[in-house]
Amino acid sequence: MTLFVRMFLVSLAVPLLLAAATSSGAQAQSGPLRIEITEGVIEPLPFATPDFVADSAQAAQFGRDIARVIAANLTGTGLFREIAPSAFISQISDFSAPVQYADWKAINAQALITGGVSLQGGQLVVQFRLYDVFSNAELGSGLQFAGPPEGWRRMAHKVADAVYSRITGESGYFDSRVVFVSESGPKNDRRKRLAIMDYDGANVQYLTDASSIVLAPRFSPTGDRVLYTSYEGGAPRIYVLDVGSVQRRVLEQQDGAMSFAPRFGPDGTTVVYSLTQGGNTDIFKLDLANGQTQRLTSAPSIETAPSFSPDGSRIVFESDRSGTQQLYVMPANGGEAQRISFGQGRYGTPVWSPRGDLIAFTKQNRGRFHIGVMRTDGSEERLLTASFLDEGPTWAPNGRVIMFARETRGAQGSVSLYSVDITGRNLRPVPTPEGASDPAWSPLQN
Amino acid sequence: METGTYISGAAHLALIGWALFGIAPNPEPLPFEVQEVAVISSAEFAALQAAQRPPGPVAEPAALIPPEAPAEVPELPNAPDPEPAQITPDVAEAPPPDEAPIRTPDPLPQAEVSEAPPEITPPGEDVAALLPLDQRPQPRPAERIAPQAVAPPAPEAIPDEIEREAVVPEEGERAAPQEPQEATAPEEAAPEIVTEAEEPAGAPTRSIRPSSRPARPTPAAAPSPEPQTADAVNEAVNDAVAEALREAQTAAPSAPSGPPLSAGERDALRVAVSSCWNVGSLSTEALQTTVVVGVDMQEDARPVAGSIRMLSFSGGSEAAARQAFEAARRAIIRCGSRGFQLPAEKYGQWREIEMTFNPENMRIR
Repeated sequence: MTLFVRMFLVSLAVPLLLAAATSSGAQAQSGPLRIEITEGVIEPLPFATPDFVADSAQAAQFGRDIARVIAANLTGTGLFREIAPSAFISQISDFSAPVQYADWKAINAQALITGGVSLQGGQLVVQFRLYDVFSNAELGSGLQFAGPPEGWRRMAHKVADAVYSRITGESGYFDSRVVFVSESGPKNDRRKRLAIMDYDGANVQYLTDASSIVLAPRFSPTGDRVLYTSYEGGAPRIYVLDVGSVQRRVLEQQDGAMSFAPRFGPDGTTVVYSLTQGGNTDIFKLDLANGQTQRLTSAPSIETAPSFSPDGSRIVFESDRSGTQQLYVMPANGGEAQRISFGQGRYGTPVWSPRGDLIAFTKQNRGRFHIGVMRTDGSEERLLTASFLDEGPTWAPNGRVIMFARETRGAQGSVSLYSVDITGRNLRPVPTPEGASDPAWSPLQN
Repeated sequence: METGTYISGAAHLALIGWALFGIAPNPEPLPFEVQEVAVISSAEFAALQAAQRPPGPVAEPAALIPPEAPAEVPELPNAPDPEPAQITPDVAEAPPPDEAPIRTPDPLPQAEVSEAPPEITPPGEDVAALLPLDQRPQPRPAERIAPQAVAPPAPEAIPDEIEREAVVPEEGERAAPQEPQEATAPEEAAPEIVTEAEEPAGAPTRSIRPSSRPARPTPAAAPSPEPQTADAVNEAVNDAVAEALREAQTAAPSAPSGPPLSAGERDALRVAVSSCWNVGSLSTEALQTTVVVGVDMQEDARPVAGSIRMLSFSGGSEAAARQAFEAARRAIIRCGSRGFQLPAEKYGQWREIEMTFNPENMRIR
């Protein structure tokens, strides 16, 4: 009996004690509210780039031009949106003056790029700062570049690369170049020559004349040499060209054989290519130091378009050994190849991403051509484009953008370059003075 | 003699005892009737009385007043009404004959009727032929990807860099009248990225299976009952009291005050932050990084910008976490600049907020 009475009293007392303790504690401090955000938006980040402040009238034009190139670089990625200068509330008249954050918040500028230019001893000096407007803070430290005045575009690209990198966390790709085949004339009488330009189509220079057909140029890992295939001697041969001196030489030549589709290894000391002998096409590897070649495939089918993985351990290539053109991966020294493409249609021109996580390819299916990407094991295939003829993907140095050639239908159809983000967004043409095909993106310049 | 005395004494004692204590056997209780009554107030009683009171005496009806006779009676003539004048209609002149009489239509030619049944050409296989690929409607690429699709704004709506809310004068507003202003049109948005290679989606091709109900927590196996002794019960009671007090004391400092936020209020906060959380410029690695961000709030439901800090991160490197945190910080500051929709009376609940930004659903959209 006594026990039950005690339990009854305890059952009454415990809630009272709890309530008293809780109320006294609540008055002392309150705990955080916890929520989880799993949905966001994907939209270009608004930024403002006022003209860079010049210290002289001579530098003023540079200040304007550099700001425009930076804005065009960032806007062209599809990840940023420039706020028109006409919307600015305040102007930047002093590079070192404090920023009026409220004025930039009012126009919803989330990033602000300010800069200054000056001419010092024949050198153009470019300074810039990046601000996170809504955090009222500078993003990173200010940077300064110096170089010859004629290199102002490169300095603008470098500023844009730094801004891109600080906001996205990835390296940029603006200070890079593209080598491509410039084409003119009708389809049945195309004149082709090698050309090189900035990634955005500026500063086009021709590396060869149009006396012979040239194909498939590829940059070396340092960007100073270009491999390409030429029909100069009648049959296709692989040449290597020094970009600085525009000197070239035949890289590989065997009597009665055709060599094509060359590509550098990641260390720049080896080249993989296709060689057709006796009606059979296989993949070979050439050691540039000693000139020795090594056969990597020996199947009776056509194996071509080899591309190294960034670590140099594997090679992806196309082959019709299964009856249709598909993609395969094999060790860098040859050996058993593993098929990675199993979708409908034909796959070709695979290129390993600089990041190593994806492989870009051309796909032909039901009369249409696509540029797509897949994981290195063939999973998660995603087609990014579709048209009458898309082919020849090449990766931007940061592995986020792909450039390719698109040809339109008809005898008078033209061929031009396009770029697209690996998500399939931001498909846009790359301006070239003539028709253009076979693009190859260089690494970032030093 | 003595016997009679004893008998008399006993009889008197019995009589006195009966009179005093009623020690006689209790008779059966008398039957009674119970009737339920209700207690009413005096006002209700008065109202009841008024309702039952007969109506008061009716006043005597007023005497009828005869209508006043007209002062003079008009004399009416006894003559018959004159004959109404007959109106003769004008005779219309006959219309002139048409110069070119209407031509009688020629008889229809006799249709040739054949006894043979008509031949019906069977439709081709592609009666409902698909449009050529070039002519199919192309998917509308929207630059902005958001959880909810937003239709494009009206053609007359001009995109504005500065986002404005609608201003509508309130009734009875005594402050200086504000000029009515239309809200900035929401920017067009699509729920996912549509690449050029993807077929235009006129209708959803698949429905998303609703997420399954979370599994109930598996109940712990009930311990086998043990025989309780008085000492064991006492000990258990003491332990329970001590544990309850300890938990209450430790939990009390972090327990929020005031009524908790409702699910709708929490969702409103979540949606508000989501609408500003732009992951479009994040790197692939940052899109795999979940960051937990702490923020202190002012009573006007605006965040204290300086208090926003990264509490923890997972799934990526420190550099990626920094990018993810900066995007989260921008979201909190931008959408909190006007104050979140949070109930002021529950300030104790949201004075401090921990937001977990998990971009898992945003990697490929």
